[in-house]
Amino acid sequence: MDKTLSRQRAGTLLAHVRVELAFIRGLVGINLASAMEYRATFLTQIFGMFLNNGIYFVFWYLFFDRFGTVQGYNLEEVYLLFAIVAMGFGLAYTLAGNTGWRLATIIAQGRLDYYLALPRNLLAHVLFSHMVVSAIGDFFFGIMAFFFAGRFHPAEIVLFVVSCVLSGCVIVGYGLIVGSAAFFFGGAQQMSMQAANALVSFALYPNTLFSGFARLLLYTLIPAIFIGGIPVDIVLGRDGRLLAGLAAAAAISLGMGTWLFYAGLRRYESGSDINVM
Amino acid sequence: MWIQLRVGVAKYGAIAGINLQNQLAYVWDTISRSTHIVVFMFIFTQLWGAVYRLQDVTEINGLTLANTIWYFLMAEVLQIGQIRHDTQITEEIKSGAIAYTLGKPYNYLGYHFSNGMGETIVKMGLLWLLGSPIALAFAGWPDVRLAHLPAIAVVYLLAIVVNFCIISLIGLMAFLIEDTFSLRLIYQKIVFILGGLLIPLDFLPEGLQRVAGLLPFQLTTYAPARLFVGFEWPMFWRQLQMGAIWLAILLGLLSLQYRWAARRLAINGG
Repeated sequence: MDKTLSRQRAGTLLAHVRVELAFIRGLVGINLASAMEYRATFLTQIFGMFLNNGIYFVFWYLFFDRFGTVQGYNLEEVYLLFAIVAMGFGLAYTLAGNTGWRLATIIAQGRLDYYLALPRNLLAHVLFSHMVVSAIGDFFFGIMAFFFAGRFHPAEIVLFVVSCVLSGCVIVGYGLIVGSAAFFFGGAQQMSMQAANALVSFALYPNTLFSGFARLLLYTLIPAIFIGGIPVDIVLGRDGRLLAGLAAAAAISLGMGTWLFYAGLRRYESGSDINVM
Repeated sequence: MWIQLRVGVAKYGAIAGINLQNQLAYVWDTISRSTHIVVFMFIFTQLWGAVYRLQDVTEINGLTLANTIWYFLMAEVLQIGQIRHDTQITEEIKSGAIAYTLGKPYNYLGYHFSNGMGETIVKMGLLWLLGSPIALAFAGWPDVRLAHLPAIAVVYLLAIVVNFCIISLIGLMAFLIEDTFSLRLIYQKIVFILGGLLIPLDFLPEGLQRVAGLLPFQLTTYAPARLFVGFEWPMFWRQLQMGAIWLAILLGLLSLQYRWAARRLAINGG
């Protein structure tokens, strides 16, 4: 009897997860179709981001050409760092664009009303309702950068892909945490934007440059090491234990973000923006 | 003519003053938008500190570590604090609001310059205030002589004007292409390398240094930052000469583009 009941429960849960995943797939599909409606702008934004990242590539090329290795990092390692951060960022913001300052804006302007009125998982609905088009450029740039890094062993490729996904999860979780700050501080858009910028800025430089309190900060308040430095070490050292650590960091980040979002939701005041039709 | 000049100065000064007051009224907002300079400066101090330490040198191509750190502060302040009116021009063209703006009793670009200056003064001042403690902590006081400050200020102003001209050229391109964001992005990225924002031109390979020295991008960032950390009169005169040449070219292009754009403007109704 017990066995049948738990099997039934597991089945219901699985069906529920399947429904939610189909819903998320639908949201991402609509986001993409809507972005591609303006074909020229769509391509320009992707190309613009590609160029943006490309300039940093040129900078690092010139830098290492002139100064050689810095704190254990050489050109290939920086290319790998770029590949992971760009792909993680690309995945996060292409799929779940409503984090960070966008989430803070939605909360501060009372626009959660729209999502609250619909019979869907609130957090998933909000997160996946926006696609940052330029992030697609980041995603493809990440793939290109990986080729430049020259790590083609099958194990390295697998570790790279898994690390990028986990890095993306840390970015989404962090975006949720800083975006949810709007529930508590009102207009937290600027703060969340600065926090997200700091995360990416620190992640794009070799983490070995930072020590002491700054390093502690990069493991905690601005967890940039988890989206850049640690994934690089995982791929270079083919380190499974470190990968498990990164998975734990991703889970903690997403868990904290989800908890903070729902804790903040209790303080949410409607913006009288209920307009479902 | 003097009266006309006085009226002009008063009018555009008033426009700048209004935006200055506006920025000061929301100074906390401006501060929160400027805090990322602290992150940039901290990263630069760590990166370039490591370079000088690992190379075991006190000077690279005439720049000490302290020079390099102050150079980056100056360059970042200039770039982040610059007038960015291209999005405003693009929006006005897209929405058609430009038809009303052009009818007002001021020069369209003159308005944008003075309005932008009101914002840029506050922004650059705050960026200095936020970034200089980091530079001071890691590099000590900058090696600047008071007698050189007026000359540096001239090149600084030149940087703002040259940047304004390039951004205006980009903004007015909205008459041709709807969204000029990607053009500005390309310009900004060129400044990263050829303007000396990410790496001082002194550290580039010689060929690239020579090419960059001939282009206007280095005038917007490298020239004032480099003179600030190591003033030399021959370099000052050379930059002033380059600035005058590029300013003439850019203003000529801007005037042609503005006239062409005004001809393309179609106004219906009132």
